[in-house]
Amino acid sequence: MRGKKGRLIVLFFFLSPFLLMLASLSIGRYHIPPLDLGKTLVRTVSPASFPEVPPEYRDILLRIRLPRLLLALLAGAALSVSGASLQALFKNPLVNEYILGISFGAAFGAALSLVFLGKGFPPQIAAFLFALAAVLAVLVVSGRSGSHTVSLLLTGVIVSAFFQALLALVEFFANPYALQSLFFWLMGSLSLATWSDLSVSLPVMGLGTAALVLMRWRLNVLSLSEEEAAALGVNVRKEKLLIIVLTSLSTAAVTAVAGVIGWIGLIVPHLVRMMVGADNRKVVPLSAALGASVLIVADDITRVAASFEIPIGILTSLIGIPFFIFLLGRSRKVWL
Amino acid sequence: MVLTLRSAAAGAALVLMSAAGPATALQIAGREARAVRDSLGRSVTLPERAERVLSLQPEITRIVAALGAGDRLVGVDYFILNHDHLFPIVFPGARDLPAISHTSEDINFEMVLRLDPDIIFVSPTELQMVDALQGKLKRPVVAMASMGSFDRLVEEILLVGGILGREARAAELASDFEARLAAIRGSVSEIPVEKKPRVYLSFWGALTRTPVAYEPVDAAGGVNCARGMLPANLGTIATVAQAEQILVWRPDVILVQGSYPPKERAITTEGILRDKRFGSLPAVRNGKVFYTFGFWYWWDPALVLVETLYLARLFHPEATGAVDLEKEANAIFKKYYGVDGAYTALCRTLECGAWDER
Amino acid sequence: MTVDVRALIFGYGEFRLSVPGLRFESRKVVSIVGRNGAGKSTLLKLLGGILPAPKRSVLLDGRALSELKSAERARLISYVPQELAPALNYRVIDFVLMGRASFVPTFSVPSREDRRLAEEAIRFVGLDGFEDREFSQLSSGERRLALVARTLAQSPQVFLLDEPTTFLDPKHEVEVMELCRKLAAEKGKTVIVTLHNLEMAVKYSDEMVFLKKGEVAASGPPDRVLSEALLAEVYDIPMAIVPFDGRMLILR
Repeated sequence: MRGKKGRLIVLFFFLSPFLLMLASLSIGRYHIPPLDLGKTLVRTVSPASFPEVPPEYRDILLRIRLPRLLLALLAGAALSVSGASLQALFKNPLVNEYILGISFGAAFGAALSLVFLGKGFPPQIAAFLFALAAVLAVLVVSGRSGSHTVSLLLTGVIVSAFFQALLALVEFFANPYALQSLFFWLMGSLSLATWSDLSVSLPVMGLGTAALVLMRWRLNVLSLSEEEAAALGVNVRKEKLLIIVLTSLSTAAVTAVAGVIGWIGLIVPHLVRMMVGADNRKVVPLSAALGASVLIVADDITRVAASFEIPIGILTSLIGIPFFIFLLGRSRKVWL
Repeated sequence: MVLTLRSAAAGAALVLMSAAGPATALQIAGREARAVRDSLGRSVTLPERAERVLSLQPEITRIVAALGAGDRLVGVDYFILNHDHLFPIVFPGARDLPAISHTSEDINFEMVLRLDPDIIFVSPTELQMVDALQGKLKRPVVAMASMGSFDRLVEEILLVGGILGREARAAELASDFEARLAAIRGSVSEIPVEKKPRVYLSFWGALTRTPVAYEPVDAAGGVNCARGMLPANLGTIATVAQAEQILVWRPDVILVQGSYPPKERAITTEGILRDKRFGSLPAVRNGKVFYTFGFWYWWDPALVLVETLYLARLFHPEATGAVDLEKEANAIFKKYYGVDGAYTALCRTLECGAWDER
Repeated sequence: MTVDVRALIFGYGEFRLSVPGLRFESRKVVSIVGRNGAGKSTLLKLLGGILPAPKRSVLLDGRALSELKSAERARLISYVPQELAPALNYRVIDFVLMGRASFVPTFSVPSREDRRLAEEAIRFVGLDGFEDREFSQLSSGERRLALVARTLAQSPQVFLLDEPTTFLDPKHEVEVMELCRKLAAEKGKTVIVTLHNLEMAVKYSDEMVFLKKGEVAASGPPDRVLSEALLAEVYDIPMAIVPFDGRMLILR
């Protein structure tokens, strides 16, 4: 990935999410001719122009498609960067962003809200809080053994199992209708988020992702053994905690508004590493870009393939896995 | 797996036992062993007399109560005891019945054996469970549900009536049901297709979950927007529509499932009216967003008639004339369950009296 | 930079390390020798701040190690571990660049200057041309050299190398020890290594420290402290010292 050709490829990677997003504005079950699309966009900025454009077009573009696409962009980036960071931090290729209990913590929170707490405590907030509570539990419990990598992972598994059991308990007592709402939420979908949800979660995702991208070189150092990193002058405990906090905030923000979207945080970083090698200075930002593109494309397919909603987790794995297999044969050695 | 082998053996035995090939009707004359085909196409040998009835399918439970055989119930399912707002009103005796199953997967086998039922009614949505039950308990297990079809509901009433020896009452209810339905259909039959409102149904506590088939709307002279779509899970009738798809459909009326008490409702009519995404829809612009009763684990035969009547009045007030819904509804419940003022009582919980006020 | 040890006591489990006083000076290579479990690695880790030493028991030019922040400490003294098992297959240049961690703020990437220093370190250890080679493609000896380059890029004053010659063939063994001498002589660093190979230790050290069961049996220049009696005491087996061609051969 050197020289002019390398730079062009990198540029392509970073531009594609935005180009895809722009193109995706024209995709959807409600057919809007491209010219009218342009007119509607102009009308948004200067309301006086093009009065003949039907108001539905604006509703569709601004209230249905745009929030969904923005969410796809940022969620794809946030999940991929979190997955990449945690894989490096835990020196383990099997790690994904949900490993510290976030997925089941969030699911339990949503269940609690949908089944017992009702409107006063919306599922988004409950999911976010319990996702973070799960990570906190992991940190506190594993902290007794000095935040050793293995014990963090192990505690993550255990805390996940704990919340999974609690979730099953809530499901057991739920009336069938609340249960339906819950299953619907758990499926994972970019369609549920409204602008008011996004106004809070998008900034969190964005800031978390940005901070992780800034720490991309630091990840190289933190991926060494704790002894080595400490010897190199890094406050290992503090910076590890920082990365965990940043990934948790980003992932919880995504999960709170979109449910659990699997595979992106696991596969995208691997795809990137197979292409550019292990250096996190390249892996982290490229993961963000590729993750955003993949999720936008997956969502586009969801929106046109059928008039009903296909859970997006299915599509992300259907897209990602063939690529993975394709690259597996030609890849360089990344994990030692 | 052992379970499937055993149930296969049980099924095979049943088929062999059911005398002359596939028996589709009951032989009422003479109490010899009779067989019936249930919703899953299984042939089930019925007992001579069904005195002890375990019903894990709410729709059947209601039919049993409507047939006047409610005293034969030895157990019911969790939903109808705890989440059905109508049943305790029309069958107060339900309070004393034990809840045997939570969902189809959580049947307490030991309790079932202790209750010693002569026949067990279950929902047909869990195929393996049905066969496992029959195999484990060695009692007739009948899987039946109307799946939202009026015709199947009437068939069910007759079938259950035959099983319980209440054929006369069943025939009475069946003909009453069909008569009332025909009356409603008749009142809107003259309305041309273009005048029929396009209706979008938001059920099951989510804006985008909608049933692909909802006969009350059809019978009341409306058109279900989601009709004919592929269900999200095969074997159910629910699907998840995209928000944009709702805009493509341009419904004239939006109906929200109102079977939850007001404070439990996740989706409210006010919420939809305020949702800026749908501001351009005729339904929202004209304020035609209402609650309706919807599915309650399939149907209650009386309630679904009330529902259809209510919708007909909603869609075509001129054609249906001045119908006092409360009076009619109470009369229907009186006919089916022998209880006075059931509809009024229900409306206290669900505030359904205010549903079509604008 | 001078490293002073005063009343250093450290224990874990049943083991106890006790060093009343030692001094390591710049421009010198000091080797710490002894049996397995004598406390060599432990002492090294205590000196490097990897294990917590009692306050003011380790002083760098008079300043207490325990009072230094991690980044500052890393710029003064660096511990190079024995085992090297990175999880990811970095290129040599990226690997060596990590040595600059104490100079790069948390949310930044290394500068051009950092890169220049890393390349310089690679040249110093004799690995030029290897910058873009991936770690998995290096031999054991080359990996060890890369590790030293990384430590060099860290620009500490004191190098603590834990058994740097284990698993290396004779040629690479010599290379690494020559490097140690070069660091002390050309760059004026304080180099402290733990070794099993006594002959290497004798040949390349300015001073030696003999540890037995957590205590200093002897310390000083080899020609002064080395004796068969000392070796027998420290290693629990009789050994013979045979001078040969101006060097010392140590026979078991």
